[in-house]
Amino acid sequence: MLILIRKRLNMHKIPMLFDKMHCFKSLENLKSAYIERIHQVSDERRSGKKSVGTFCLFVPDEIIFAAGADRMILCGGKNDTISIAEQYLPRNICPLVKSSFGSIVNDGCSGVKSCSHFSMVDMIVAENTCDSKKKMYELLDNYVPTYVIDLPQRPDTPEALKYFVTELDKFRDAMEQLTGNKVTNERLRQEIISSNETRKLLHSLYELRKRDPSPISGVDMLKILQKQYFLSPGELKEHLRMLISEVESVEPEGAHRPRIMISGCPMPGGNTKVPEIIEDKGGVIVVEESCTGTRSFWDMVDEDKEPMLALAERYIEIPCSCMSPNDRRIDNILELARDFKVDGVVYYTLQFCHGYNIEKYKVQQALKKAGIPMLFVETDYSNSDVEQIGLRVDAFMEMLS
Amino acid sequence: MISVGLDAGSATTKAVLIKDGRKITQTIRPTAFDFISAAEIAYQEVLDHAGIGKKDVDHVYATGYGRNSIQFADKAISEITTHAKGVYHLYPEVNGIIDIGGQDSKVISVNDGKVTDFLMNDKCAAGTGKFLEYTARALEVPIDDLGSLAFDSETPASITSMCTVFAESEVISLRTRGFTKQDIAAGIIESIARRVAVMARQLELKQNVAFVGGVAKNTAIKSALEKELGISLYVPAEPQITGALGAALYNSN
Ligand code: SF4
Ligand code: SF4
Repeated sequence: MLILIRKRLNMHKIPMLFDKMHCFKSLENLKSAYIERIHQVSDERRSGKKSVGTFCLFVPDEIIFAAGADRMILCGGKNDTISIAEQYLPRNICPLVKSSFGSIVNDGCSGVKSCSHFSMVDMIVAENTCDSKKKMYELLDNYVPTYVIDLPQRPDTPEALKYFVTELDKFRDAMEQLTGNKVTNERLRQEIISSNETRKLLHSLYELRKRDPSPISGVDMLKILQKQYFLSPGELKEHLRMLISEVESVEPEGAHRPRIMISGCPMPGGNTKVPEIIEDKGGVIVVEESCTGTRSFWDMVDEDKEPMLALAERYIEIPCSCMSPNDRRIDNILELARDFKVDGVVYYTLQFCHGYNIEKYKVQQALKKAGIPMLFVETDYSNSDVEQIGLRVDAFMEMLS
Repeated sequence: MISVGLDAGSATTKAVLIKDGRKITQTIRPTAFDFISAAEIAYQEVLDHAGIGKKDVDHVYATGYGRNSIQFADKAISEITTHAKGVYHLYPEVNGIIDIGGQDSKVISVNDGKVTDFLMNDKCAAGTGKFLEYTARALEVPIDDLGSLAFDSETPASITSMCTVFAESEVISLRTRGFTKQDIAAGIIESIARRVAVMARQLELKQNVAFVGGVAKNTAIKSALEKELGISLYVPAEPQITGALGAALYNSN
């Protein structure tokens, strides 16, 4: 399908940015990583190790790994499983929720295949974020045991932090119960150090994208970002290290292309439509203010503090639109725009994601004040709007150059 | 220097030929099924009108929905950019454009002919020519009569549905409730004007605004929009060709 989109968009003489560009070997390796990981997790489960599925950045990996469990992200990016979900869920909720739910409850009767990892978890660790997910989790519990972490929604108060600490404590207990392993402070500290390492690697990779022209395309970058919560931390780090050393040695050539920041909803695996269009139309994505992007790794966990408190402090500050107020996100967007020298922002939302759709207004006002042009794209997982988005992006690129 | 701008729209294909920055001739024809042959014919038409051979043309630029399929063009440019250029050529003082076409509507903010911001509605038919087409059908009047009917209304009916399909049933229900054709026609026109005005206000278009696209020929919509926005709008003599004109002017400054 993507080839088809490419063809449709590229019939004209739009110079391809990454035509002659480096083909990163480490990204090629990622192709086989999926199947290897599936084998790895099924071996682990056969030997008694538990695996949990997550949907959101608010669930601290560190606690899962400290309990000796493995984890895989269950955020769906596939269009095919949406129709399965629509047998249970209303049509007018976000495609990410529908796709994920459809992938999990799929019994194969309709001839649609879910990716294997959706059926390889012993427990789902959910979180009370947006309404659609919250309510979907209630149904999901009928299929897979689903543990829900509650989140305070006004994150900037001391009471909120206290509450979040107790919620994380309960979650730790639940993980201990699932695995039969004790989550000691010592284990937590090790996992915090390990996760911080990953965060630092991602920072170094993003640092390289500050170069002009950027040595790596946003579409390539997304390939690894979408695997961030799928691979084991060890494998991820290995892939990141390889990629960093490859990217470091690239000498990108060519003229300046509009440097684009994507800001908004997550872009889970299977959903690369908008980034593809942006880069096919001559832009280059240099930073993603997204859960498949900076929100996942920007802040470190304090390694010197009491681990559960340090985790709560770090995670509660994730600038997700389900939080209120969420001005931290606006500040972050402005800072990223400056640091990555972006020429324009594509504000990307999924249909019916009210949080990010409403927050658009504030972001737009702030960007306007800062003199940074913004294009708003609201979409779903289907390919029906490829032409329309293409036109907007064309016009946006013409406006920026 | 001679250049031709081709606007391959979903309903009509437009061509404009310019020489040294001045318009020589133009044509508008139905697109029908085949974008490419419509563009080829329109191209040939302006060449014939102007008495010019293909080899004398320095540049051909394509815009519009089918812009990427026109292989004989030097370059494809989005209709947002070309409308801005075309309107700037006609009215250099303009800093806002409202374009209502058959399939979509656009609102563009411009400064010296350069686009500074824009909004588009194309996922939903409300606020586009399609909306007029469907509701006129439900009213059983030719679309071209909607305007004159509306002018005769003193108490426009209110059409509140955001969705074209529902608006169509709303029109039918108004008919069964005994509203006059005139009042329903006026309601339809107010409804489309309201939708588009919301977009214009989002971009803060306040003065020197041009109204282009096929629907701009409808004077009832023009005055409804003017009332809604509290300004008077510039409407070019040929509101459909600003895209093709802007494409032809792409290279000139
Ligand atoms: S957008 Fe918010 S709710 Fe969704 S994954 Fe990110 S942090 Fe979680
Ligand atoms: S994209 Fe928005 S609506 Fe969808 S799951 Fe994330 S926060 Fe919820």
